[in-house]
Amino acid sequence: MENLGALSILLGLCLAIYSVIASITGAWKQNPFLIKSAQRAAVAVWGLVTLASGLLVYFLLTDDFRLVYVAQYSNKAMPAVYKFAAWWGGQAGSLLLWNFILACYAFVVITQNRNRHHKIMPYVTAVLMTTQVLFLVLIVFAANPFEVLTVGKGVTSIPDGKGLNPLLQYWTMVIHPPTLYLGYVGFVVPFAFAIGSLITKQPGDTWIHTTRRWAIVTWLFQTAGITLGAGWSYAVLGWGGYWVWDPVENASFLPWLTSTAFLHSVMMQEKKGMMKIWNIVLVSATFFLSIFGTFLTRSGIVASVHAFAQSPVGPYFVTFLAAGIVAVTWLILDRLEFLKSETQLESVISRESSFLFNNLILLASCFAILWGTMFPVISEAVTGEKISVDAPFFNRVNIPIGLFLMFLTGIGPLIAWRRSTFESLRRAFYWPTIGGVVLMVALVAAGMHHVYAVLCFGLCMFVTISISTEFYKGGRAISGKDKIGLIPAMIELTHRNTRRYGGYLIHIGVVLCFIGFAGAAFNKDLTAEIGEGQKMTIGRYELTLNNITFGENDNYVWRRATIAATVDGKPYAILEPEGRVFKAQNEPYHSVGIVRKLNEDLYMNFANVSEDGKKAVIQAYVFPLVSWIWIGFWVMFAGTIVCLVPSKVRLEYARTQVVGVVEKHASQVEK
Amino acid sequence: MLRKWKNSILLLLAVVAMAQDSMVSPAVRRVGEKLACLCGACKNTVGTCDMMGCHYTAPKREQIASLLAKGQSDEAIIDTIVNEVGLKALSEPPSTGFNAMALIMPFVMIGLGLTAIYWFIQRSRKLVPVNVTAPVVADRYQAMAEKEIEKLD
Repeated sequence: MENLGALSILLGLCLAIYSVIASITGAWKQNPFLIKSAQRAAVAVWGLVTLASGLLVYFLLTDDFRLVYVAQYSNKAMPAVYKFAAWWGGQAGSLLLWNFILACYAFVVITQNRNRHHKIMPYVTAVLMTTQVLFLVLIVFAANPFEVLTVGKGVTSIPDGKGLNPLLQYWTMVIHPPTLYLGYVGFVVPFAFAIGSLITKQPGDTWIHTTRRWAIVTWLFQTAGITLGAGWSYAVLGWGGYWVWDPVENASFLPWLTSTAFLHSVMMQEKKGMMKIWNIVLVSATFFLSIFGTFLTRSGIVASVHAFAQSPVGPYFVTFLAAGIVAVTWLILDRLEFLKSETQLESVISRESSFLFNNLILLASCFAILWGTMFPVISEAVTGEKISVDAPFFNRVNIPIGLFLMFLTGIGPLIAWRRSTFESLRRAFYWPTIGGVVLMVALVAAGMHHVYAVLCFGLCMFVTISISTEFYKGGRAISGKDKIGLIPAMIELTHRNTRRYGGYLIHIGVVLCFIGFAGAAFNKDLTAEIGEGQKMTIGRYELTLNNITFGENDNYVWRRATIAATVDGKPYAILEPEGRVFKAQNEPYHSVGIVRKLNEDLYMNFANVSEDGKKAVIQAYVFPLVSWIWIGFWVMFAGTIVCLVPSKVRLEYARTQVVGVVEKHASQVEK
Repeated sequence: MLRKWKNSILLLLAVVAMAQDSMVSPAVRRVGEKLACLCGACKNTVGTCDMMGCHYTAPKREQIASLLAKGQSDEAIIDTIVNEVGLKALSEPPSTGFNAMALIMPFVMIGLGLTAIYWFIQRSRKLVPVNVTAPVVADRYQAMAEKEIEKLD
C-alpha cells in the first residue's frame, strides 16, 4: 500500500505540472476546454494528495514500522491523537500536510469560481498549481514520507518506533501546526488572484473583493497558529517563555506582519482607489515570506530548536523564491500604468495618512525581524566570524516600534477619511490623552518605574478610550434614534458596519495582548531545593512541598511533586508539576503546574530531584498579566468573526471620483 | 521489582548535572544578559536562561560570579568571555565594524520609509483635486444623502 502512496504523489506531481501548462496555454490560446481540463487536473491533484495523506495517517495509526517515517516519529505506546499528530511531526509528513492544505484550498477556489472570473481563473489555477508543484517536488525528490526500511533489496520492519518528540506530545501541538499552515498556505489564494488580475489587467478591484474573506480567514489562522505556538511554548518548555525570538518563531511572524499591513492598506484601495501597487507588493511579500518561513524552518540555514532536521530541500526553495520574486517584480513594473491611483492624498491629517504610517511601522518591524534573523548568516559571510542575535536585540528594536504602532492604533479611529481639522482632532484626542496620561502618572506615583511598561499601559488606556468612544458615540446616536438601550444600540452599530467595528474589536484584542506583554517586565522567579514539608516563598505565595510520588504508564515514567500554595496563610491552590521520561526516546519532559489568574500566573516546574532523591528542585515563577495575552487572542478571534459577518447596511463607498490633476490641467477641466 | 529498577534507572538518567546555583544574583544576571546562551536549545541569555543544568549557562554563571567576586568590572568580564568564546558569546552584535549594521539598518529603513511617505504627501499636495464626478453619480449620492437626512429628522 505504501507504493500506492508514493504513486499518488508522483501522479499528483505530473497532473499539477499539466495543470500549470494547460492553464497558461488555455488562457493564451483562449481554449476553454484546455482551461477546464487544467481545473479538473487540479481537482484530481487534490484527490491524489488526499489519498496519500490518508494513507500516511493510516500507516501511523496502525503502527506500520516498515515505513521510515512511521518508525522515526511514532511508536506503539503513543496515544492515537499523537500518532495522528505525527503526520506533521517530521519533515516529510509536514510537507505532505502543506500539500494537502494547498490542494484543498485549490479545490475550494476552483469549485467556488467555476462560473466566475473566467479571465483571471486560468492564471489563478496556474499560480496555485505552480506552488503545488514545488511542494510535490519536495516530497517526491527530497523528503518522501513513503520511503520504506530495506535490508538489501527486501522491505523490513522494526518492532517499535522512536516516537514523537516528547515536547510535541502536548495538546496544542495537535492543532498548532495545521492552524499555522492554514494561515501560511492560505495567502497563496489572494496572491494568485492578484497575479491573475495583473496579468489580465482586470479593471477595478475584483481580486480584492473576491479574496477579502480569504485574506481575513487566513490572517485569523496565522494569528491563531502563532498564539497556539506561544501557548505551547509557555506551558511546555518549563520556563514560561512564550516568545523568545527564535528564527522559527520569527519566520511565522513575518508574513503575519505583512498580511496585517495588507488588511489595512487594502481599505485604501477599496475606498479610495489608492495604493494599488503597494497592495500587490504586500500580498506578494506575504506569499513569499510564507515560503521563505517554510524554507527557514526546513533548510537548516539558521539554528533553531524548533527547526526540522537539516535536509536537501534548500535549493528547491531558493530557486522557487528567486524565480517567483523576479517574475512578480517584472510583472508589477510592466503593469505600473494599470496600477495608478484613482485619487490622491488630500491631507496629511487624514485616515489615509495614518494607514501609511501604520504600514511603515508594520513593515519596519518586519524588516527588523528579518534582518535580525538573517544577520548571523550575513555577518558570518562578510566577516567570517559567527555572532549571536538574541532576544535583547529584537526587544531593543521592536519594543519602540510596537509602542508606536499602539499609538497609531489609538489615533486611527479618531481621524476622518480625506481630511481632519486640528479642532476636530483636539476634541477627539482630549479624553483618550487625558486617560492615558493620568494612568501613567498614577503608575509612576505608585512606584512603577519601568519606562516601557508605563508607556505601554498609558498607550493601552489611550487606545481603549479612543475605541470605546467610537462605540459609545455611534451607540448613543442609534439609541436616541431607535429608542433602544445603549448596549443593543452598540450591537446594532456593529452589525451595520461589521468590518469597521469588528476591526475595532481586534484592536481591543491587541491592546489586551500588549497589557500581557508589558506584564513581563515584572516577572519573578525562584529556584529552590525543598524536602517534604519544607517551604519556599515567591512574591505573595508560600509554597510547601507535600510529597513526591512516582508512577508510569505505557508511554512514560513520571515523578510528581504535590505543592500547596498559600497566600497570607490561607490555602490558595494545589499544584502538581511533573517530571517525565518518555521510554521510547529516553528523554525528559516537564509538565508544569500553573494557576492562571487575571492578575498573575503562579507557574511551577518540577525541574529535578536531589541526588538522594528526597528533595525536589522547584522552579517557581510569578508571571503578571500573562493571561491577558490569551484573552486578547480570543477578543481578536471574536473581532475577526464579526468582520466576516456581512454588514446589515450595504455600504457603498462613495469613491469621491476626485482625481489628482496637475494644476495647469485643472483649469482646463474646469473650463 | 524489575519495573521499579527500570523506573529508577530512567529517573536517574533524567537527573542532569545540577551545578546551577538556586539563586542568580542580580549582578550575575546583569552581566549575563549581555551574553548569549549558546546551548543550542534556546535563544535566551546567560542571565535569563532557565533551563535546569544548562550545559552552557550554568558554568558561565559560575565564571561570572567568580570574576565579580575578584572585583572585575562588567566590561572586563564580558571581554574575558568574548576572548574565550568569540563574538558569538554576545547576545547582541557588537556596535563596531560591519556588525554595527545590525542595529543601524532597521532605523535606516524607517528613515527611508518616512522619506517615501514625505515624497508621497508632497506629490499629492502639488496636485489639485478636481471634481469630475459624473452628474448621474453625483445625483445618486445627493439622493442618498437626502434620504439619510430625512431619516434623521
